[in-house]
Amino acid sequence: MNLWARLRSWLRATLKHSGMASEMDAELRFHVEAYAEDLVRGGVPHQEAMRQARIEFGGIERAKEECRDARGVNFIENFTQDLRFGLRTLRKSPGFTAVAILTLALGIGATTAIFSLLNAVVLRLLPVPNPQQLVQFTYTFPPNGPENWNSWFGYPHLERFRRQAGMLSGIFGGTGLNRVSVGWHGSPGLAQCDAYTDNFFAVLGVAPQQGRLFAPGDDREGADVVVLSDRYWRSRFAADPSIIGQTILIDQLPFTVIGITPPKFSIYVGGARDLWVPLHALDRFTPDPNRWRASFTSWLLIAGRLGPGVSLAQAEAELDIIHRRLYAEQLAVSEYRDSQSWQRLVRESHLVLHPAATGMVSGLRHAYELPLKLLMGVAGMVLLITCVNVANLVLARASHRRPEIALRMALGSGRARLIRQLLTESLLVATAGGALGLVIAWWGGALLVRMISTGDSPVPLDVRPDWPVFGFTAAVSLAGGILFGLVPAIRGTRVDPGPALQRGARGTTGSSRFLDRVLVAVQVTLSLVLITGAGIFTRTLENLRHVDVGYQRDNILMFSVDAKLAGYPKERASALYGAILEKAAILPGIQSASVSTVRPVDDQYYLVDRIRQVDGRALPDGETIKVAWNAMSPGYFSTVGTPILMGRDFDLRDRGATSGVVIVNESLARQVLPGQNPIGHRLDGAEIIGVAKDSLYGGAREQPRPVLYRALFQGKGGTDPSQWVGAGALSFELRYRSRAGLVDEVRQAVASVDGHVPIFHVKTLRAQTEDSFLRERLLATISSFFGGLALLLASLGLYGLMAYAVARRTAEIGLRMALGARRREIIWLIVRETLWLVLAGAVAGIPLAVWPSRYAKALLFGIAGADPVVFATSVAALTGVAVLASFLPVRRASRIDPMVALRYDG
Amino acid sequence: MDKPLDLLQSRLDRLMRTAVSLGSLSAYGMLLGIQQISKNRLEIQQGPVYPALYRLDHRGRITSEWDESENNRTAKYYRLTAAGMRRLQTEVEKWNPIADVIAGIPGTTPEEV
Repeated sequence: MNLWARLRSWLRATLKHSGMASEMDAELRFHVEAYAEDLVRGGVPHQEAMRQARIEFGGIERAKEECRDARGVNFIENFTQDLRFGLRTLRKSPGFTAVAILTLALGIGATTAIFSLLNAVVLRLLPVPNPQQLVQFTYTFPPNGPENWNSWFGYPHLERFRRQAGMLSGIFGGTGLNRVSVGWHGSPGLAQCDAYTDNFFAVLGVAPQQGRLFAPGDDREGADVVVLSDRYWRSRFAADPSIIGQTILIDQLPFTVIGITPPKFSIYVGGARDLWVPLHALDRFTPDPNRWRASFTSWLLIAGRLGPGVSLAQAEAELDIIHRRLYAEQLAVSEYRDSQSWQRLVRESHLVLHPAATGMVSGLRHAYELPLKLLMGVAGMVLLITCVNVANLVLARASHRRPEIALRMALGSGRARLIRQLLTESLLVATAGGALGLVIAWWGGALLVRMISTGDSPVPLDVRPDWPVFGFTAAVSLAGGILFGLVPAIRGTRVDPGPALQRGARGTTGSSRFLDRVLVAVQVTLSLVLITGAGIFTRTLENLRHVDVGYQRDNILMFSVDAKLAGYPKERASALYGAILEKAAILPGIQSASVSTVRPVDDQYYLVDRIRQVDGRALPDGETIKVAWNAMSPGYFSTVGTPILMGRDFDLRDRGATSGVVIVNESLARQVLPGQNPIGHRLDGAEIIGVAKDSLYGGAREQPRPVLYRALFQGKGGTDPSQWVGAGALSFELRYRSRAGLVDEVRQAVASVDGHVPIFHVKTLRAQTEDSFLRERLLATISSFFGGLALLLASLGLYGLMAYAVARRTAEIGLRMALGARRREIIWLIVRETLWLVLAGAVAGIPLAVWPSRYAKALLFGIAGADPVVFATSVAALTGVAVLASFLPVRRASRIDPMVALRYDG
Repeated sequence: MDKPLDLLQSRLDRLMRTAVSLGSLSAYGMLLGIQQISKNRLEIQQGPVYPALYRLDHRGRITSEWDESENNRTAKYYRLTAAGMRRLQTEVEKWNPIADVIAGIPGTTPEEV
């Protein structure tokens, strides 16, 4: 009905609050005076009339209060009053306030830090208009399963989609050039470069910050324009706007800068690019006419924007038809047309659209989504524990405040009003904790980004708090404040003023003792879950560290060189690498040196090929052998410490040999030539000259697999001496005796060969191995930190409970001692209570701990989710900490002097 | 939409509304009016009158304005709004039958039952 009238009245009352107060005064004054005048008229003397009028009116202040209530003004007024009162009370007990705020800040800060990382990696939308319309194209391949999809297409797919798809308002494609060298005024530098079709920025809806972005016609043969990212423009060109129109050299080729993207523009999480060139500029770097025609290749990212009102499923249905028809056409004219596996691929592959509102498929997100969600849960539990801790503090304080609360109730305060006032106090503490937590999160978020960065520069993630993070913190603080404030407030006001005032602050009711214990037991339970999780992740990390990867991890330094960056054509690249290897090998303190395509525990390359012919006999389709492969210089095996079990290493003889030579690992030898001596046999025409011990090609998490080693400087069949050189960077491995100054010496050695050749990925094998455990280390470190924090908070809770119990039972303990109880029995009395709490917490905690460890199964290594040893250790640790926490209270209890105790509290 | 009021409060509200329906009155004038109508049989505490008026005002049943009183003082005068008038009518319609029944009860003899 009159909602509007009510609102108006409330607004009027609130806005003109002081006006209303005086209006109310005037009205009541008029009433009293008018009544007094009537009385005077009836013959009562003036003074007496006023007195009588006031008496008959009743409590004026009470009437005013009720009037205010009637208008709903009291809410705001009470709130400001409560706020002032709350601030005053909190100031009066600075110890409680500081501890509560700090505890909460830790909990909120930890949660917010993890959330800000989760937000940056998983949740944040791309900074473009209507990001929810963006989709990325992928296709499945048989056997269709959750892992069997690919997001890289060949160029004919892009052409066909752009010509035939009607449901999308735009489709763009592109690929990464990876690392390029950028020369400007003679100074070199490295940058990350992508090549995209010229509708890239238009489809995304990005407007230039300076100059212009790609326009139709830019993507043509000989394309020579480049767009810079805001970050690169600032770091390399000091945000100089006059760079637009100037020429820079990308891998020694001239490009004209046409514009700058807005800040924060990126289409991947954690994959910031510095430069964008048109797709057809690829031909200037590496001419390859086949690139635009070849079918069944995977190098092109395709994405687009759904047309208005088009659903993902509709677009997917249309695109799937185009994809499948094209595949069928391609197979019909392909050399693979008779192969059953290719026929199966074409028959079963489907196009799938991925929503790309939060960015294109990202390796970083893939790797960290689950760990971050898990850590978010962990942080949430820590927050819960801190809330329980603060609730305990508030409870303890409430029992001290009983006389105050009783007095206020006796004076006529309503209970709801008192609860509201106590809650306001809690919310004040929560707000302060939240603000401080935000500061902790700010610092912690940056720390977390450094933790997950392995490369030469930190992962480009923006974890500075944005609106979602602020909102999250505010919500968490508010929820926390209500959580830890409400129960104590309700219970603290359940006071019967009479007896409470008489007896003072001593003693609480039975139900409150129970509540204290439940709260502490909850802490114990949550801590157990957390330290069990920490234990499982720590064990995983330890297990990974102890895997024998088949390399000698110590005393190996590695660095990468890419001849292309210094403008070397493919033909001259081998000579450059050979020269660098020679220089590096003679550095002082170097025992041996080698160069290879894939480095040990590589995070860049994973090369896979198929062996189709053994000793001249072609393997039938479907029986070809899938191998991982690597190509290396002589000396690789002795440098990385992988023994050659039979035959020999590559050597200089192989360089000019007319027929190819290869080395196989044990697994490959066993698979291809079971029970035979493989030396001298031929794989795809190349002679096997040695068998190397199995090493784990992709790192500690892998099982041994067949690996084929090729001679880097020789090539397939000896026909092309640079067959394996020139496609990308090569990695050098140096076994050293002393590392001091080595990196500088390496730089000088490379510079002495060619001053324009940059080196990167400089890392020891140990560091490389450690970095491959990054995710596990992140989980282990953070969960251990949180577990420790939880344990600390739980032990504080236990200590508080026990200290209070001893204080409360001083008289009882004194009496027991007076009656002849021994000290040991008194100690047992207290310890027993502690142990019961731990037991209760553990019984509840173990089933709870099993659940998340099952969820985390994909992240574990060499340990089952529910590991009995970890559980036992956790319970033991918890018990130890609990006993430690009750040590001081126990000591106090055991030193109680019966005479003093009995007098003190008779 | 109305909060349930306790019996006493709702009676007082109704009484005040009835009083206001007689014309634009100050709160004090209303009290006198009620006493007159009830022939002094209804003794009303003065203090609670004001919260009742403020409640009615807040709900938009009555409206108020400041004006000169008979003895040249400014006083606040209350008036029923259209919504208040409607509400009063429905209540009167509901109240009269009940009042009739209640009024009949004391005079009823056992034989009549």
